Amino acid sequence: MPRDSEDRSFRYPLKWRIMDGLNAALDLLWPRRLGRYTGWALLTPALLLVGILVLGLFQIAENSLHTLDTSTFLPGEEYTLANYLIVAESPTYWRIIWRSLLGAGLTVFFTLLLALPYSYMMVRTNKAALRKTLLIVLFLPFFIGQVVRAYGILIVMGSSGAVNDALGLVGIEPIRLLFNFPAVVFGLVQYMLPFAVLMLAPALTAIPRETETAASSLGANWLKVFRHVILPMAKPGLVGAALVVGTLSLTDFAMPAMLGGGSQDFIANAIYDQFFRTADQGLGSALALLLVALGSVIAGVVIAFFGAGTLGMRGRK
Amino acid sequence: MTNGSPSESAISPGKPGQSTAVHVRDVTMDFGNGALAVSNASFELETGKFLTILGPSGSGKTTLLRMIAGFETPTSGEITVNGKPVDSAPPHRRSIGMVFQKLALFPHMTAAENIAFPLKMRRFNPKTIPGRVDEFLDLVKLGGYGNRRINELSGGQQQRVAIARALVFKPELLLLDEPLAALDVKLREEMQLEFRRIQHELGVTTINVTHDQREALVVSDDIIVMDGGRIQQHAKPVDLYRAPDNAFVAGFLGVASFINGHAVPGGLASGENFLSGTHAGDFADGTAVRGAVRAEQIRIAAEGGQLTACDTRLTGTVRDTIFEGERQLYVVATEEIPGITFRIYHHDPESFGLFEIGTRVMIGWNARDMKIFESRAS
Repeated sequence: MPRDSEDRSFRYPLKWRIMDGLNAALDLLWPRRLGRYTGWALLTPALLLVGILVLGLFQIAENSLHTLDTSTFLPGEEYTLANYLIVAESPTYWRIIWRSLLGAGLTVFFTLLLALPYSYMMVRTNKAALRKTLLIVLFLPFFIGQVVRAYGILIVMGSSGAVNDALGLVGIEPIRLLFNFPAVVFGLVQYMLPFAVLMLAPALTAIPRETETAASSLGANWLKVFRHVILPMAKPGLVGAALVVGTLSLTDFAMPAMLGGGSQDFIANAIYDQFFRTADQGLGSALALLLVALGSVIAGVVIAFFGAGTLGMRGRK
Repeated sequence: MTNGSPSESAISPGKPGQSTAVHVRDVTMDFGNGALAVSNASFELETGKFLTILGPSGSGKTTLLRMIAGFETPTSGEITVNGKPVDSAPPHRRSIGMVFQKLALFPHMTAAENIAFPLKMRRFNPKTIPGRVDEFLDLVKLGGYGNRRINELSGGQQQRVAIARALVFKPELLLLDEPLAALDVKLREEMQLEFRRIQHELGVTTINVTHDQREALVVSDDIIVMDGGRIQQHAKPVDLYRAPDNAFVAGFLGVASFINGHAVPGGLASGENFLSGTHAGDFADGTAVRGAVRAEQIRIAAEGGQLTACDTRLTGTVRDTIFEGERQLYVVATEEIPGITFRIYHHDPESFGLFEIGTRVMIGWNARDMKIFESRAS
């Protein structure tokens, strides 16, 4: 037949043949009847990763039940709750826990307060240039690590930094802006803002502009539109952002260490001290577990009351 | 205020049919992208009337509606609602109810809360709100559905909530921005009749925007046809259908076939052929014209058949035939006028014989059936 030669010379494109080969190889390695387990197979690496974390937690839990033997500088043999008692009876640790919670709470509040209008502007503006500028301004500090950023704040807000120089121009004496609690919260808010904006943006995008127009045509001024439409409809995003910002702030190390100047320790700093300064693994582990418990309880309560937000499973509430 | 039925509580000031509710004067909208979105639009609407702005997408109808709503400010011209310029108050102070294309219901509220929203925002007496909400739920036939969340309602029910929400505060003007576009045909036709019923019951002046010619014909007292940012014609539905002002209107409402030619007395000449028709307007012989003849006005018969009642007769071949239930559509190419096909509705296909594809047929019409318009240079 005349078409035979044509047929024989015909070949599928290289890409297709490679894909076919890969498919065939995959069929050998993972036969089709295992198809229903594919999901689990893909999940395994992530589960292993989390598993290691859980193993570590068990180890920490075990460590927390031994006190440091001050004569040998090794953990003691017998199991005891003494480390937890030390924490419970120490006003210093209570102050640190309280400071961490207050710091995280204030950071959540101020971050959301700043992030909501920022993301709203970014989502709603018709001008592509403005949107891009807002994104770049948001991301620029994002690329700079936390430590470098904290150092930047140290320079700018130091007693001879740009801020005090500016204040000096209007006749105000240099003031101590650093190494206090507000400085730590300031640093945290600055650090968390991009996270919050990025988590709020999709939630705000999901609110149709028409819904706002409708609300105003029905008699709501902008404040009422915000209060009755935007806020409730953006709630999943706000809850998600609050959870992320809250847990990250609660467990933060660098900002309190650098901007607090040693006087404003958060729980993570106390843990660090126990592990690497006094080498009291037991007490450090007890503090670490306390932090895990604190974070989990807060997240659990928030999810129970407000739903999981945009963090995942869409809760009915 | 007593809990009277909605029809008892007057909505619009002034007597229906006597005062002008909406006055659009020479309105132009230029978005600065080359073409004018709306160009020199003017019309008046009497209190209590139902007006539909009909046009294809991009015709400027939605822009015109948004300007009447006050969401956009015209580049030039003036819009007044009950004598007051529409932009004299911010949107939340205006007495305009609007049903949006995507309804824009509040998903975090129940049906009743949605309907109560404008009453709360407009500071109605809190004691009267539940009664008023129930009254309007009944009006849109949703009695007992007040506690449903929006996502628990069907598409048609959501429509009804949106209508109730736009009307519950008794606005002077109701605007409908293609709210039925997303519904399936059955539901859409049902809701068209509902819009009409509710509008009649309340007597609220209404402006509706749609691209659906059937909807426009069914619901409206008046229709404005728009194309390319310009008002093409403003007339009652029957007049619009029977006496279109130009070829665009003739083509947009109903199904028509168009023949280009030049004007001769009593019709148009296309090549060697004279086709009888009625001139829409005065134009000199020889003017380039466009004749439009509606599908239901063309008669069809077997070749050599009796079409003696028609003063224009053409012979041709059936190119396609489509059974549409209540009628049969034929697409016929004629020998006399090559290059175009005629679309012909043959009603009552049950009792008439059908013509197969390829059958030689005869088609014809009378002078009054073909409208002849001046060709527009475009």
